Amino acid sequence: MIQWYAETLLRYGVVAAAIVGVMLLTYRGLRAAGVRREAATGFTLILPWFLGFLIWNLFPLAASLYLSLTNYNILQTPEWVGLANYQKLIGEDQQFWASLRLTLAYAALTVPLGLALSLLAATLLNQGVRGVGVWRTVYYLPAVLPAFVTALLWRLMLLPTQSGLVNTATEPIWSLFGDKGPRWFLDPNTVLWGFVIMSFWGVFGANTVIMLAGLKNIPKDLYDAAEVDGAGLAAKFRHITIPQLTPTLFYLLIMGIIAGVQIFDQGLFVRVPRENFLNVYLYTQGFTFFNMGYASAIGWLMLVIILVMTLAVFRSSQAWVYYEGDVRR
Amino acid sequence: MNTRSMRLAGLTAAMSLLITACGAAESTPSGSASSPSGSAPPTGQAPAEKVTFRLTTWAGEGEAAELQELVLDKINASQDEFEIIHEAAPADYYTKLQTALAGGTGADFMWLSQEYVAGYASRGALLDLTEPLAGIDSAVANVDRYFPDVMQTALYQDRVYGLPWISQPIVLYYNPELFDAAGIAYPDATWDWDTFAETAEALTKDTDGDGTPDQYGFSANGWPPVHMFIWQAGGEVITPDLKSSPIDSPEAIAGAEFYKRLIFNAACCPTEDTIAEQGFSEMFKAGTVAMFMGGASDTFESADGEALDIRAAVVPMGPESRTTFAWTGSTVVNATVENPELAVKALVALTEGIQRWKIVSPNMDLATADVILASFPEKWQAQKSQQVDAILEATKDMRSFNVIPRQQEWDDLFWREFQDLLYHDQGTASDLAAAARANLEALLP
Repeated sequence: MIQWYAETLLRYGVVAAAIVGVMLLTYRGLRAAGVRREAATGFTLILPWFLGFLIWNLFPLAASLYLSLTNYNILQTPEWVGLANYQKLIGEDQQFWASLRLTLAYAALTVPLGLALSLLAATLLNQGVRGVGVWRTVYYLPAVLPAFVTALLWRLMLLPTQSGLVNTATEPIWSLFGDKGPRWFLDPNTVLWGFVIMSFWGVFGANTVIMLAGLKNIPKDLYDAAEVDGAGLAAKFRHITIPQLTPTLFYLLIMGIIAGVQIFDQGLFVRVPRENFLNVYLYTQGFTFFNMGYASAIGWLMLVIILVMTLAVFRSSQAWVYYEGDVRR
Repeated sequence: MNTRSMRLAGLTAAMSLLITACGAAESTPSGSASSPSGSAPPTGQAPAEKVTFRLTTWAGEGEAAELQELVLDKINASQDEFEIIHEAAPADYYTKLQTALAGGTGADFMWLSQEYVAGYASRGALLDLTEPLAGIDSAVANVDRYFPDVMQTALYQDRVYGLPWISQPIVLYYNPELFDAAGIAYPDATWDWDTFAETAEALTKDTDGDGTPDQYGFSANGWPPVHMFIWQAGGEVITPDLKSSPIDSPEAIAGAEFYKRLIFNAACCPTEDTIAEQGFSEMFKAGTVAMFMGGASDTFESADGEALDIRAAVVPMGPESRTTFAWTGSTVVNATVENPELAVKALVALTEGIQRWKIVSPNMDLATADVILASFPEKWQAQKSQQVDAILEATKDMRSFNVIPRQQEWDDLFWREFQDLLYHDQGTASDLAAAARANLEALLP
């Protein structure tokens, strides 16, 4: 065992030495080609990252695009099938559309609700609360928990019987309607809401901390000037806080959309009836059914969906995101 | 040599090192391996060192320790041609397996559950063992000595691709204390479906009068598999020739409807919500369920670790047969193993070791009461000695699935388009079966 670790350590050392060697070679080559010293140094220093990007990002990306056009089943050489995977996905695969609907509905609910709740919490924390550092930590703690731990925890909390804390706590409300409460992950009609509630656990905390940082950056003199002009709390919030916070909201919106469409861990660890999220469907096709070519096609369609949504938000940002120093045309 | 030349020489050496480091032959992590995985000594020479074979399994910590101590250590000590090292992957086993095979780093031996052998074999990942096994004089290598309905799970297109090491028939476990309290006779071979369902209802009781049962006669949640009841009624889900899925036949409908009569029906069994809250097998161990269908090697202990008084009977008789489902696992050999002849020899030794450790052995010669009881530690002897007769009786009626290469997709579809909807009152068995059949048959070879 010790020998194995020693060999591994030696390989790390050799690779590191070789990378340094390649960097030196690159530097000498660039200088010999007449590149200025400062530029050559810059290019040389980003070389390790660039190599990593080529090997670990660009190559797999290109490979998955190629595989999406094949019938690759993991264990055999892929055979070219053209656009057949995409045609089947879009034209025949009802489960794909069901998964897509669930995923988009999840993103459509969790992103705005998460933003609204975290804005509310951040605003409260920004009211001169003592020990704000402690509160920030407390709010951020859930976000550092592994997603599967959160998923298992919430699966227990959302049990439909007396062990489910959520239903037990809200029992008086449900009993008013003569009901026992939702069955959450056991009922296809309430699965989505179970996941939405679960999402607040992590997103709420992380967003709140970022939002709080955004609030702290708003110049106080803007509020002072508004008060002099007789503005109330609501007017200040609407005309100063929100506009000044739009770059933060814009960032959180983009990240929220990407995370919402890519949701995976929660869906994998909480067994639900019928359809699951798109990423879980992709995983199932690739790693359970051996249809890696088909799974790659799902991945590329997901990329297109995220790209279209992100571009739409970017396009709309000109109308609602305010950057200090910007001049509106 | 000038400075420029020295730099160039140094850089060339660095590049060589990088290439060498990236392309170095894989070493075995055990440190005890004396030659590359599955590699052979030069032909015509006496083996100077043992050939190392890698075995990957889904064994958890305790199971892996037992495998090492009870099987591998003995084999490795008795063999001078090879040794087998174990690489356990208890979490996400099949994903790791596929990824390793795709990357060319798959182990030489792999455990596969019955649903997977045909899929891996059809994709060319497994070594065809038909001829190599025929040349070995051993009961373990003789496929005719295996229970035929179990052995067929390791075949693909009539070729042998694995050696089964376990075939666990489902038996009916029961809690005698609950039967005695209700004054009901214990289950036996005279029971049929009606006796079973009526007894399950009689043992379901609301002891505290709150309108919800506190004790149930039986429990089902998709386990035991509905296939078993369809077989007992004379039906099939996939025919032996793998050409059709007649789940809408009158026999198959009868089996499915009987299962529907039990599952999540509060008159005899816990609801889905109750199972989610209290746990499926945990309810039986806790004494809130009187009868439970489980595999032959299941053991039952109380919360404080004491072996419970749980007895066993064969499953109730269906309209046509008492067929019981047998979960089966096989060890298969990687198609790219470097020394196939020695690998098959090692596979036979490994399988024999496992067949004496796991019960019930799919090899008829080892499916005996002595072997079964010897495979359990002292703690379980009293419990298993009361169950062993029923287990042996069940082996006469056990069978496994008829497996197709796309079995995982078929299972998923069978659950989504038939079972799940049936169990949640989304249609009748006949309507759902008629609607699902065409999609299921589209996945057949």
